[in-house]
Amino acid sequence: MSFDLHRPNTMAEAIGLAARLGPAARYIAGGTDLVVQINRGRATPQHVIDISHLADLRHDIVQTADGFSLGALTRYRNIERHPAFQDALKLLPEAASVVGGVQVRNIASIGGNIINASPAADFVPALLALDAELDIQGAAGRRSESLRDFILGPGKTGLQAGEILAAVRFKPLPAHSATAFLKEGRRKAMEISVVCVAASLTLDASGKTCLAARIAVGAVAPKAYRAAAAEAALAGLPADTASFRLAGQLAAEQAAPISDVRASAEHRHHLVSVLVQRALETCRQRIAGA
Amino acid sequence: MNAEAFRATGRVAGKRLPRMDGIGKVIGKHVYAADFTLPGMLYGRVLRSNKPHARIVKIDTSRAKAMPGVRTVITAADIPAVRYGQAVRDAPVFALDRVLFYGHAIAAVAATTLEIAEQALAAIDVELEDLPAVYDPEEALTNAILVHPDWQDFKVLPILVRDGNMTARTRMITGDADAAFANAYRVYEHRFKTALQHPGYTEPRASVADWDANGNVTVWTNTQLPFDTQTTLSEILDLPVSRVRVIVPGIGGGFGGKLRIGVEHYAALLARNTARPVRVLSTSEEELIAATPRQSAVVHLKTAVDRDGKLLGRQGRIIVDCGAFAGSGPAMASVSLQVLAGPYRNGTLALEGIAVYTNKVPAGSFRAPAGPMANFAVESQMDIIAEDLGIDPLELRLRNIVHEGDKGPSGEELKSVSVEECLRKAAAAIGWHDRKPAPGRGKGIACSWWMTTGGSSGVYVKIDPDGTATLVSGAVEIGTAALTGASQVLAEALSLDLDDIKVAGVDTQTSPYDYGAQGSRTAFSVGNACLAAAADLRQQLFELAAKQWNITTDGMELRDKQVIAGNKTIAIAELARLSRLSGGGLIAHGTANSPGPAFDPGRVENHMLPAWNTPSFHAQAADLSVDSETGAVSINRYVVAQDVGFAINPTYIEGQIEGGVSQGIGQALSEEIVYQNGRVMNANLTDYKMPTAMDVPEIECILVQSASAAGPFGAKGVGEPPCIHPPAALANAIAAATGARMHSLPMTAEKIVKELRSARE
Ligand SMILES: Cc1cc2nc3c(=O)[nH]c(=O)nc-3n(C[C@H](O)[C@H](O)[C@H](O)COP(=O)(O)OP(=O)(O)OC[C@H]3O[C@@H](n4cnc5c(N)ncnc54)[C@H](O)[C@@H]3O)c2cc1C
Repeated sequence: MSFDLHRPNTMAEAIGLAARLGPAARYIAGGTDLVVQINRGRATPQHVIDISHLADLRHDIVQTADGFSLGALTRYRNIERHPAFQDALKLLPEAASVVGGVQVRNIASIGGNIINASPAADFVPALLALDAELDIQGAAGRRSESLRDFILGPGKTGLQAGEILAAVRFKPLPAHSATAFLKEGRRKAMEISVVCVAASLTLDASGKTCLAARIAVGAVAPKAYRAAAAEAALAGLPADTASFRLAGQLAAEQAAPISDVRASAEHRHHLVSVLVQRALETCRQRIAGA
Repeated sequence: MNAEAFRATGRVAGKRLPRMDGIGKVIGKHVYAADFTLPGMLYGRVLRSNKPHARIVKIDTSRAKAMPGVRTVITAADIPAVRYGQAVRDAPVFALDRVLFYGHAIAAVAATTLEIAEQALAAIDVELEDLPAVYDPEEALTNAILVHPDWQDFKVLPILVRDGNMTARTRMITGDADAAFANAYRVYEHRFKTALQHPGYTEPRASVADWDANGNVTVWTNTQLPFDTQTTLSEILDLPVSRVRVIVPGIGGGFGGKLRIGVEHYAALLARNTARPVRVLSTSEEELIAATPRQSAVVHLKTAVDRDGKLLGRQGRIIVDCGAFAGSGPAMASVSLQVLAGPYRNGTLALEGIAVYTNKVPAGSFRAPAGPMANFAVESQMDIIAEDLGIDPLELRLRNIVHEGDKGPSGEELKSVSVEECLRKAAAAIGWHDRKPAPGRGKGIACSWWMTTGGSSGVYVKIDPDGTATLVSGAVEIGTAALTGASQVLAEALSLDLDDIKVAGVDTQTSPYDYGAQGSRTAFSVGNACLAAAADLRQQLFELAAKQWNITTDGMELRDKQVIAGNKTIAIAELARLSRLSGGGLIAHGTANSPGPAFDPGRVENHMLPAWNTPSFHAQAADLSVDSETGAVSINRYVVAQDVGFAINPTYIEGQIEGGVSQGIGQALSEEIVYQNGRVMNANLTDYKMPTAMDVPEIECILVQSASAAGPFGAKGVGEPPCIHPPAALANAIAAATGARMHSLPMTAEKIVKELRSARE
């Protein structure tokens, strides 16, 4: 369990190091996934490249002309408290505030959550429901990819050798929109989701009809998924319990959960339909209340 | 002068004074066993079985031994085949011809670094051949697979009745239960199950051992029972006890999980082989597969009542799953029967406790061992009966509880009985009149009783020439502040302030004997020994003063740190100085022992703890909400009314209550060591779920003070009881909130959803 720790000064240096050291090297940001994996023998890097201090990744939360850009090193704690996320984008602080405990949220990065690509990652569904785009920096320059395409499976992403995830971007929501994030686990903190659900709902001006919905579900498939059938079905339906229940059922049909020590597949299925319906109902109430 | 002559003035004893070890612990200065190192120390690790039951075909350590940095590798072949244990001597240091559970120790390694030690474990070649195994305790009673085919060869306490996998059977019988059941208005019969629960101490088990030039071994370890550990080590190492020295630096929690030998023997054996100090520190995985969790249990309980809900009799059987070695299982099969009887007038009793072997982790005594399992059954069933008879659950309890002077289940006389006061106070505080305040919200209550464990305590108390005192006790401070409590008793008796007392660390070579930090007894028993020492010292001080003044000791008083006779005064400090000139200084040896009460031997069979010392009574009430769709439980309020006899330091008693209830909430809702085909599925702290601060509400404590005759200033044991009731109190509240009656622990959201669904169908 020994490795060399590198502390490059710039992104370019970090990427150069990673290119030189190859697969024996891993980046480390907050270390809250990587260190656990090293301790449990699931990761055995010979080189660890610390990127937690790189200014290019640290820019945190920036409001841009067409939405928001969050540096890959953005800490959950900063998202929880950010004033721009307390209204339509409420799902962000809701998802951030249920990651681990306060100590974890003070150090863990959202970039690490994405690259670690756990099926149960909490922040991934929240970003999926916002159609987030990723900015990725490599030796050859910067590229963008949608989060939806980027995560491939448990621990697998489209990150190429040496690349660093630099930032996450998403567009503002249309008028009459709201979001919500819900998570269930065995306890109320320090918990890996048994199911988590993120939803974004847009209603018409009357607030009676669904125009669009984006629903992301975590922990019930090899990777978090967008509940496409539920989303499609909702468009044009009245914003009521029956529609939301239907969306919950459709979202659950898409789930492919496993049974493990945390919960049975059956219970997870059940929770998907409950939480999706609830998240949509919460969105509706939030739009009405806004 | 005797100890009873002291009365609490409220000056020190009874006050909320800050604990003596608090600052050191808060700023990180306190040395725990896991912090302790010695120069040249090697790192020891234990190889553990990855199969639940298998024949050992081969162990080849040659590759591991040849690795650079590896100093020794030992297996069962290298040491005498000693079996140790409490009631049953069935546990060897390493697996002999077979591994008996997933996690069973096979070999140990010492190396210059932890990494090398770990690599060496991987280099030990072990060939195991699977054997059929038995995991279910009920099946184990009838199964042909014997965990110990050689069970008849074990040395055991003569009181035990054993047969194959059954390693103890005990009974409590009062009156003619069959007749009572035959004439009952109604009979209720239920089955309850509880799970394995890790004690959850923050510091893993840690030991450093070192041998001196004369062949004596010293072990620095975080044991709750240094003298028991010393004895067990002397057996394993085949040395007289005097050559084994156990020193306890500091303990990061024990809760019963550090009572018996844990890693001390590995450290001592590895150190002997290498002539170097060796440290062995358990990993989280080892803690969850091979420490001593709370036994799981299956309880069948049958209760007969009359039309008014008056209890006519209880019949039942509790099966305590010991795992691969008996450990405290036989004692728990015994103690659980008192808890099943409960603080009730049962009419008749026919209870049976059984301890059984399975191919799982050897379990043990975790805080109020056997308490929560039996209480979950009896107090859940009380609510089921109340519901069925249409009687309020509180009222049903009040109609049946014991009162002052009643007989306990072994025929012992019950004194200072306060269960009614506890029930009424807890109910009033939780707002019992409004038991189902909203859909999905409900309140539950549970009561119980518990012993203050006996056993003897010795202390030395030494008074220095500055007038301060040092308390030397063989009892360790496991984090409860019990020794702050004992010191408050001592300070009170000597007319000193708490700041005037220092507590010496435990070292079996120099500390007087103590039965140990277990069984809610430390503050109680060490406090009593302190009173005895104080009485002796007071007499010594009076005699010194008498000599100084040339008068008799008649009418002398010890007050405000001085001896007073009429208008003459002399400071304790001055007398301590004088004592040095001629008397070798002021020192006293105080002792305490609490023998159990008289009981009726005709009411118990093969029972290891037939009558409880200084029992305490208590009730707890919960107010919670259940999400009917997700099954999630949120506890809104939690109230504890506990009879503590006399609150030596209310702050730390409340701390004990808060901690105990939190552990009880964990057992009730989330904690469980999960086995599948004999393997532990959640041997890490990601999936072994102790409650967090977000899961535990503020615990509201009501300290009932119904003085005992035996405890210091009337105190009763307080540490264990708080974790007895939460499973039952929460189960009853869940039933009140949803109508769903939970019969097995932990009551996870998933189980609640299932129960609600089957109730609908
Ligand atoms: C006690 C505890 C509780 C937790 N609770 C939760 C929870 O409730 N919900 C949840 O979703 N997660 C939880 N986690 C997991 C973890 O905290 C999160 O996934 C976190 O976001 C990981 O971020 P990090 O910065 O610590 O990642 P690290 O561990 O530093 O890195 C994780 C992976 O990402 C790579 N990486 C990191 N940053 C970059 C980058 N910018 N570019 C390229 N690669 C990168 C690393 O090489 C590594 O492979 C918990 C972890 C712990 C220890």
